[in-house]
Amino acid sequence: MLVQVLVQLAVVVTLMTLAGIALFVGRYRLRETRVEWKDRVRAATPITVVLAVVLLGNSVARQIVPDLSWMIDWNPTWEIYDLEGQFILWLQSFETPVLTAYFSFIYIYGYVFLLVFPVVAYFALSNTRPLRELLTAYTLNYTLGLLLYIFVIAYGPRNLLPEVQALMYDTYPQYQHLTRQVNRNTNVFPSLHTSLAATVGILAYRTRDVYPWWNLVAGVLAISVAISTIYLGIHWAIDVLAGIVLAYVCVELSRVFVGRWSLSERVALQRWLPSIRRQ
Amino acid sequence: MNRNSTNPGDGVSRRSVLATAASGLALSTSGCIDRVGSVVGQDVTDRLALSITTVPADSDREAVRIARHLEANLEAVGADVSIDMRSPSEFLQTVLIDHDFDLYVGRHPGGFDPDFLYGALHSRYADERGWQNPFGFDETQPESLSGTPSPSRDLSETAPGGPSIDELLEEQRRTNTDDDRRDVIADLLEEVVEQKPFDPICFPEEYRVARTEHFGAWDVDDDGANDGHLPTRHGFLGLEPEPGVDQLRALITDTRPTRNLNPLSATIRDRGTIVNLLYDSLLTEHQGELVPWLAESVEWEDGSLHITLREECPFHDDDDDDEADRYVTAEDVAFTYEFLADTSYGEADTPSPAPRYRSQTSMIDDPSKDIVVEDFLEDDSYELRIDVATNIESVARRALTVPILPKHRWENQVESRTESAEAPQGEWGLVTMSNIPAIGSGPFRFEDSSQRESLTLERFEDHFTQDDDDLPDIDVESIQFGIDPGSTAVERVANDGADVTASMLSTHALKGRLEGDGEWLDDDETSETRWIGPRQSRMFYHVGFNTRAAAFGDSSVRRLVSQLLDKSWIIDDVFGNRAKPIAAPLSDEWVPDTLAMDEDDEEPVTPFFGSDGELDVDAARDAFEDAGFRHDEQGWLLRNDDT
Repeated sequence: MLVQVLVQLAVVVTLMTLAGIALFVGRYRLRETRVEWKDRVRAATPITVVLAVVLLGNSVARQIVPDLSWMIDWNPTWEIYDLEGQFILWLQSFETPVLTAYFSFIYIYGYVFLLVFPVVAYFALSNTRPLRELLTAYTLNYTLGLLLYIFVIAYGPRNLLPEVQALMYDTYPQYQHLTRQVNRNTNVFPSLHTSLAATVGILAYRTRDVYPWWNLVAGVLAISVAISTIYLGIHWAIDVLAGIVLAYVCVELSRVFVGRWSLSERVALQRWLPSIRRQ
Repeated sequence: MNRNSTNPGDGVSRRSVLATAASGLALSTSGCIDRVGSVVGQDVTDRLALSITTVPADSDREAVRIARHLEANLEAVGADVSIDMRSPSEFLQTVLIDHDFDLYVGRHPGGFDPDFLYGALHSRYADERGWQNPFGFDETQPESLSGTPSPSRDLSETAPGGPSIDELLEEQRRTNTDDDRRDVIADLLEEVVEQKPFDPICFPEEYRVARTEHFGAWDVDDDGANDGHLPTRHGFLGLEPEPGVDQLRALITDTRPTRNLNPLSATIRDRGTIVNLLYDSLLTEHQGELVPWLAESVEWEDGSLHITLREECPFHDDDDDDEADRYVTAEDVAFTYEFLADTSYGEADTPSPAPRYRSQTSMIDDPSKDIVVEDFLEDDSYELRIDVATNIESVARRALTVPILPKHRWENQVESRTESAEAPQGEWGLVTMSNIPAIGSGPFRFEDSSQRESLTLERFEDHFTQDDDDLPDIDVESIQFGIDPGSTAVERVANDGADVTASMLSTHALKGRLEGDGEWLDDDETSETRWIGPRQSRMFYHVGFNTRAAAFGDSSVRRLVSQLLDKSWIIDDVFGNRAKPIAAPLSDEWVPDTLAMDEDDEEPVTPFFGSDGELDVDAARDAFEDAGFRHDEQGWLLRNDDT
């Protein structure tokens, strides 16, 4: 069943991305990309490697995160609930099959598309800075997110309030296999779904001059992803707020880092290249 | 016994190490709501503050709903309540080992004979860690240990007169006739219900779902031959696979067995279904009876069990060179009981009894004296005698349900671990280690595991069931236990992603799929997916009180809190009527009429304040005030310190 879900996901996201390329990227950018792709790959390689390492490390670390978390044993589930109360029940009172279908689609397909497409779109730009900032921000999201998961044990609303409907899992149980691969039920603070979506949203806003329509689409998708996590009974509103804060921090930090590293890269290259040539 | 928590040896309190690091963090946030309260109210410390420990809905949806019901009603009478949600192993760690709770909602493993109450309640276990008396219940101690005066000290209530629970627990082991025992147990239950160290709620009906396509055992027409066997050992034997089928794909809801197969762990095991496949016991449960398993015969004679083992049953490590270790002998059996009584095997300063099986072995006073191996001069002796402190055969036979451990392996483990002289009960390395691969003598042998993903067991070709014509064969080459968190398990079996759910399904998972007592999933025979059940569980849902905590030192407070539980509503709304409400934790045959639920499922002793799940707040508040509490102007429930 997992394989089936994965294939479906790959097909749908590919189609969406192709449509996105046709609509937002345009032919002339693709043409330029064909000429310049080597340089762009070179520029993005270091951060891509770092991201890959972080993702790999993440999947290993998640095996032990729950044990570490229970050793620290800080479990603010009840405090979160005490603070925000019945918000999620109020939100779910608007439930309709159409909304559930929409938000389930967003939570799985819309979300993956939202993360994948900007990588393609920014790769199609001569200026590699947005691409490097994007990948840096992803890396930071996963790193800081994991740290927070270690320190905070929190169960999502459907675990504390069984009256909260696990709308997506009830309607489309097959997705549970997918999400179980990626997450544990004690890791809900913050919502990484939200923080990554918001990261893309903020960056899309910053590149609105280049991709005005993508800015619009990314905005709608990012907001939908944030709402979907609450509506589907997966996250508390506070997790979502924390996710947005995390996104903002990551984007700001990535701006600082990308600036610094590219500078040092240039210095290093200028110093090294002659010596390499001499050899 | 081993409550010396200041120096817990090698179990080193991971909590205390990290508590220091975490406390700053926790302090800065966790208490903020309370602190606001303390500014507004004059003296917030007086308010009755309780925390209900339970597991998340992913693990036990029904438990969370009961906890929430109790939480809402306690809030309504003015208490300050929070829910402390923990993963299944952390839940048991908190309740059974750390005793760090006020009250909890969970499932009690129950027991085969009413004698399980001896382990569950006897005051000699009040300081132990494990399933034996986790409530810290001890009538010999004055109520309310904390030094704060309890709200109501109705002395007449605890006045000497009737025998205490301890006395009744001992007496039911010494009666001469069945009728006498029944009377003693009736008295015992009445006393337990009166004292309420815990409040039993219901026995759930166990349902499982199985695919009939690949296994003949579940594809039966009328007699449902294999229906009652899961989760016992027989449930995994005689499955009658179709040609070409060599693996049983079973689903469990919980990841713990993929990480740890230690039969001694109190926090990992529930009823030990998988451990029972890896290890043999002398008797095994089959169709509601204990029948010979590793023992060929068990004779009962005047307070002694005479046991003859099956000969030449090898342990799983039989390919080791040392021939002497190959077979399960009386020596291993004697070792097992001595070891369960002290897992440090005499090496630690104070004995460290296993946190599991304590109740089952409690009738053997001193295993080193009371177990006699016959012909011990022979290399392999297969006969032994166990003297027990009871004259009831069914009580004595409980002792024969524990897993028999290979002496040669566990003895080595003890030796390699006792460098310090401390072995805190339930926490020391031998009891908490993962024990993977597990080496037993059971019908299945450990093959492979992947943490939190799966566990695979393979057929043990040399197991005695293979040669005994009276026992079903192990007719699959392997069993793969996959993990599925409840709700999707039914779907997975229906889609041929698995053959059976080995864990019982939550009532929620049945919703809409099982109508009445239908046989097929969705009442659709073409689904080839069948319900197995209902099987009346021996596990029961209950609310456990920590009688060591100031709030629950007093039985009248425990009874009042019980009256905030609407059992009939719980059965109806939480369990969809697929559970049997109870006031006493035993099956009907033992429960006196005075403790039977009436036809409206009304609790006979501590009836709910209200009806249909709706609390009569005024009545409940008045009752708390009558018991010595008072309410302030905000309606908060305060302890009355004036009395």
